[in-house]
Amino acid sequence: MARPDKVPQTEPTTEEKPSPIIVQMAIFAAILFVSSLISPLFPPSFPVPTPVIGLILLYVLLATHIVKLRNVEKFGDFMISLIAFLFVPSGIQLAASLNILKTQGLQIVGVVLIATIVMLVVVAYTTAGMIWIRKHIFHRSVDIKS
Amino acid sequence: MIILTTTPHMAVWGKWLGDALGTNAAGVSAGNAAFGIFLSLLVYLIGQWLFKLGKGFFLFQPLFVGMVLGIFILFLLAKVFGTTTATFYKSAYKPGGDIIFWFLNPATIAFAIPLYRRNDIVKRFWLEILLSLIIGLIASLFFIYGAAKLLGLDHVGIASMLPQAATTAIAMPIASAIGGNAAVTAMACILNAVIIYALGDWLVKFFRINHDPIGAGLGLGTAGHTVGSAKALQLGSIQGSMASIAVVIISIVVDIVVPPFAALMGLK
Repeated sequence: MARPDKVPQTEPTTEEKPSPIIVQMAIFAAILFVSSLISPLFPPSFPVPTPVIGLILLYVLLATHIVKLRNVEKFGDFMISLIAFLFVPSGIQLAASLNILKTQGLQIVGVVLIATIVMLVVVAYTTAGMIWIRKHIFHRSVDIKS
Repeated sequence: MIILTTTPHMAVWGKWLGDALGTNAAGVSAGNAAFGIFLSLLVYLIGQWLFKLGKGFFLFQPLFVGMVLGIFILFLLAKVFGTTTATFYKSAYKPGGDIIFWFLNPATIAFAIPLYRRNDIVKRFWLEILLSLIIGLIASLFFIYGAAKLLGLDHVGIASMLPQAATTAIAMPIASAIGGNAAVTAMACILNAVIIYALGDWLVKFFRINHDPIGAGLGLGTAGHTVGSAKALQLGSIQGSMASIAVVIISIVVDIVVPPFAALMGLK
């Protein structure tokens, strides 16, 4: 294994070259596979699904520099750019459960609408409060570079 | 098959189309995956086109248009084939839809990338992030419980509404455990994403949430799941990173907090 910090600065382009897309896909598939083996180990009362474990796993691999950004970035960013489209089948899936809506449908949709707005606003304002406490009570820096 | 069998000539076409879509033989045969994939792409592209045409009118968001139009087309085709929408969905759309659906797995783990890109924020603010999500979720649960009570949902309905902050695969078993209907909870999780996708920009502006980028990210990730994270990424790298961490942490917080909350409210 070549140590990246010893590589002379004259050829940074070869160092930063993204991995081939097949390799990136293989990394994703490997992480998903390992996650799918870990997921059933959690008890039914405390479910942790495969993609959640996978997200944590990939984050840990990136943070420990075992996987570099250039190994996963291209395919990952592409998948994220597709997320709204990938959700279409989930939306259409509601066609199969339209009968649920027959009894309390309007109320359920109403509660979900309220719940979505509440979660967004309450979590955002709670965080703003926490940042305020950090700044004014603990006098720690809250400056962030965007 | 009511309409398609009016003439012998039509019957041939009806059988051919029915075989291709997998709706013959009482709608149980495995359909053609190409139909589901094509329909998903078609309705999404129509959504994109309408969104452009409507100059970004929020109800024309491609995901929302795609969902409504897709359900409507399935409803119409089910009428044509003389089956229920649910059966037609299962036999004709689901084989293709499931293939696209599977790709939500790699797409979800991909959010580790924007999360890692702003690891500086995670390292500095991890305590604030954790506390905000725990306190924010507990406070939200009281509001959701109150709203559900106010709108007259029964015990099953209320229990189904409580775990919706988690990702679907966590929210469904938790809902069953506290006496809710897992299918209703799944619907809630999907609607969360659709609502955030359609109204997110407007809500962020209206409630002036983006003053605090960390809060905006955590809120969008909690309310809109991975779709909320994609929205957050459009606001900035910090927001995207925070939404990605919210998706993971909030799911685990729901795992821990919602069952005792339901017990406290006497739901079980």
